[in-house]
Amino acid sequence: MSIVNLDAPGRTVLMMGNEATARGALEAGVMVATAYPGTPSSEIIGSLAEVAKEREIYVEWSVNEKVALEVAAAASMAGLRAITAMKQNGLNVACDYLFTLGLTGVKGGIVLVVCDDPASHSSSNEEDTRAFARMGDFPLLEPTTFQEAKDMTIYALELSEELRTVVILRGVTRISHARGNVKLGELPKDHRKPYFDTSSPFTYSPMVQKHSLLHEKLNKAKERFETSPFNSYEGPEKPDLMVIASGTGIFYSREAVTLMGLEDQVGILKLGTTWPLPDRFLGKHLARTQKIMFVEEVDPFLESNVKEVWADLAPILEIGPRTFYGKRSGHIPIVGELTTDRVIEGLKKALDEVYEPCDPNYSRRAKEVTKEFVSDRALGFCPGCPHRASYWAIKNALKLDDREGFLTPDIGCYALARTASGFFLSKTGGAMGSGTGLACGFGKLQEFGFDQSVISVCGDSTFFHAVMPALVNAQYNKSNFVMCILDNSATAMTGFQPHPGVGTSAMGDPAPILDIEAICRAMGAKVEVKDPFDLKDTTETITRLFQDREGVKVLILKRKCALLKAKGEKPPYKIHIALENCVGQDCGCNQLCTRIFRCPGIIWDTETKKAKVDEVICVGCGVCTDICPNSAIIKEET
Amino acid sequence: MSDIKGPSDLEKEVLKQKLCVACGACMGLCAYFGTFQGKVVMLDSCKLIQGRCYAFCPRTTTDMEKLRLEFFDKRDFLPEIGPFRGLYITRASDKSIRTKSQHGGSTTALVELAMKEGLIDSAIMTCSNGGLNPSGMLVSKPEEVRRCSGSSFQIPPSLMILNQALKENKYKKIGVIGTPCKTLAAYKTRSKPFAENDHHADNIAMVFGLFCGWGLDWVGLEKVIEGKTPPEKVKHIDVLPSKYQILEVKTRNGRIEVPLDEIYPIVRESCRYCTDMTAEFSDISIGGARSSKGWDFDRGWNQVIVRTRKGEELLKIAREKRILEFREIESENFDKLKKASRNKKKNATQNILKKTGNGNNLLYLDPEDPGLKGLLHSAI
Repeated sequence: MSIVNLDAPGRTVLMMGNEATARGALEAGVMVATAYPGTPSSEIIGSLAEVAKEREIYVEWSVNEKVALEVAAAASMAGLRAITAMKQNGLNVACDYLFTLGLTGVKGGIVLVVCDDPASHSSSNEEDTRAFARMGDFPLLEPTTFQEAKDMTIYALELSEELRTVVILRGVTRISHARGNVKLGELPKDHRKPYFDTSSPFTYSPMVQKHSLLHEKLNKAKERFETSPFNSYEGPEKPDLMVIASGTGIFYSREAVTLMGLEDQVGILKLGTTWPLPDRFLGKHLARTQKIMFVEEVDPFLESNVKEVWADLAPILEIGPRTFYGKRSGHIPIVGELTTDRVIEGLKKALDEVYEPCDPNYSRRAKEVTKEFVSDRALGFCPGCPHRASYWAIKNALKLDDREGFLTPDIGCYALARTASGFFLSKTGGAMGSGTGLACGFGKLQEFGFDQSVISVCGDSTFFHAVMPALVNAQYNKSNFVMCILDNSATAMTGFQPHPGVGTSAMGDPAPILDIEAICRAMGAKVEVKDPFDLKDTTETITRLFQDREGVKVLILKRKCALLKAKGEKPPYKIHIALENCVGQDCGCNQLCTRIFRCPGIIWDTETKKAKVDEVICVGCGVCTDICPNSAIIKEET
Repeated sequence: MSDIKGPSDLEKEVLKQKLCVACGACMGLCAYFGTFQGKVVMLDSCKLIQGRCYAFCPRTTTDMEKLRLEFFDKRDFLPEIGPFRGLYITRASDKSIRTKSQHGGSTTALVELAMKEGLIDSAIMTCSNGGLNPSGMLVSKPEEVRRCSGSSFQIPPSLMILNQALKENKYKKIGVIGTPCKTLAAYKTRSKPFAENDHHADNIAMVFGLFCGWGLDWVGLEKVIEGKTPPEKVKHIDVLPSKYQILEVKTRNGRIEVPLDEIYPIVRESCRYCTDMTAEFSDISIGGARSSKGWDFDRGWNQVIVRTRKGEELLKIAREKRILEFREIESENFDKLKKASRNKKKNATQNILKKTGNGNNLLYLDPEDPGLKGLLHSAI
């Protein structure tokens, strides 16, 4: 029984922010939900997919975020309510259509939920998507609490339907993935019937007039926002300093103020409707005090926009000069994720306050002691991961080819090619599909004398998302490189959502399998398929492909993800070390398995000075047997 | 011992300096060295400060004099051609050996005989494979020796097989057959540079050297041949005496002459720094006959230098059992050989000095080496 589907209106339950958003969508009568998996947004559509059949709604893992938005927009044009969810990079992919959708307008309410990843815990950039709202002229809401994550989703859909435009709901990791109390509402009993009214088409011309119309919608939203319950002030009438914050900024600010004991000096203006800004409401509060500090992440979005409002209003409302503190003044860091400590430092500087959370000596000693308990751990591939084997082969092939060749990876677990676990192979970074796109570029430099081997790497899910056009480009423009597709039958990094190659849909139904090999061949590319666990064959194949300097060579390395495999099958082998063969740290080895290969299933025994299998971690894939130069790793079939 | 460094230095001083002769002495010891198209590459570094790879490599700093004193009679040393106990012109008596062999088939006959006589129980050879894409091989039956016979102008890293055999410690009397670079590496291995790890080097029983002027770039030779005849039809490749200036390629259909001007660009760069024409570190060295009587007389015959008592013993048996035919040797032969050998030393030292630009830096060679006596002066 999913918590998102719980039929218990009035009950308060503990929910993840993403689940609260999903619940809000259900309560508001959403009938179509789409997304491409992207941390931290994946659970929104993920949890809706689990209850789709019960709720009789349609949920889809689309192939990329642009299509996801288009599918949701279609539902909206047919009068249904829809939700589409994505991470910041997903919005970058979808925004081409988004801006047109703003001009064509919508019918049924549609909310675009975007979850940003400050500090880029799991992304290829650090980005603040709120700028899209301003750029595209869309109303923008930012939840602070988990209750708001639900309530704002419902409000967004209502507002969207009233104004007939997309409403953007923007959260961050700590809202998406943390949990809090949410009071449930009623789940709808009825469903709408979709109908596309051809007498009222959704077109974007006449363009300039439609743009004007969009601005009118925005102004209406502004009027609504002037009295929105999502905006509020807490604190003294005339504070020494007023914090203006949105989203997570509210919690960090409240905590900082409480810890520093500044409740009587510092007020907090909470904004939940952050574009367009309700200027009358703002003007009223800007009059409270001269010192204003902005707390938000990541960019100075509120900071810049509120300054504009002040510049316009100051002469009218006779608000005097203000001192604005924030990212532009250096009081709050302009990059990275917010923390309470960062807000404390900002307040200390702005108010010239002295504050130490505890004795500095104690603080230092505490840091030293806790460091002993938790060692630094690097990101790495799981034991048994086929990518480790693929990269081992690629690493050796690049060396054997001896032409300073390099690898251009894409987005996924295999992006760990930039770490020790991936043998530091990655030499470029990019967005979805960029690994192959970049390789297309390098592959055309031959005529200028470029002779370095280039191998691009992408995954099976990435292939469908963005790499296919890059392969068309490579074939059509005759670009010379090896294109390696790591097919592990999963969209692994984001949580094993199905994709067009695996045969199941988001809602658990059988789905046609799109055969990657057949697609590549249909494009006319040279294609080979190998098993990455056969290290010798794979290495020889890649080395051989590097010698072919004509056109793109597709190599599919096919083997199931280790985590997926572990769910369904028992370990194929039991591994142990034949200590008498282990050369250890002497000439002939020096810890090849633990120092370079680095599967977490093998550890170094500092007492015997030999390798040892960690039986809890090892999944018995058997690849290590082939990399040991002294046959010291033994595998027995289970 | 303090001169011996590790793999990172090997990569820096030899592999990246184009000194590597791809003999394979660094391979087969661990998982860190690989080979492709005639090149040896380091896949990763073990990061140890000292390693057998550096110690065995024939292009790291070598004390030639010390090696000579350890394995040869001091009195036998000639600076032009190394330890010398006798020169012979021979060919294999068995005609079927000579139909396939590079010159007179003496190497094949001698190795086969040594194995039959129990002087060796196995041999590390280069298998011709018809003339292109030769490969290293361990042969343990006398009847398998002939299969390797034939031309080999590309140099496969066959010492990798030697290292694997030594590690296995199954064969206790291994014969190593190779070009001068390989035989030098074999002796460096035999000198057991590490007290705590002798690598079972005493299992090397005999070394057979092959005369060598230079080896050819692996891909380069393939391309030259491909441009003239299907590679699979090649039966025999040979460099004719210098007055002809051609590389002769015999195919199943006939004979092709390739002007040496097309070959000089594909001579391996590392070969230009080699001072050893007659494989001075061996029990017995074999090459193509070059007398003053001309090619029609010399074609199909070998010159053989004996360097040790063991080599003498084997040649004696070969004579007695009529495994080899012998020819008269003239004194001009000896002079001609010494002159050719010295010429290679002169060219090599010149090339090295051009590379380093420093009269005191002879890369892997010792300027004080008696083998280079009189050369450095003329080189500068």
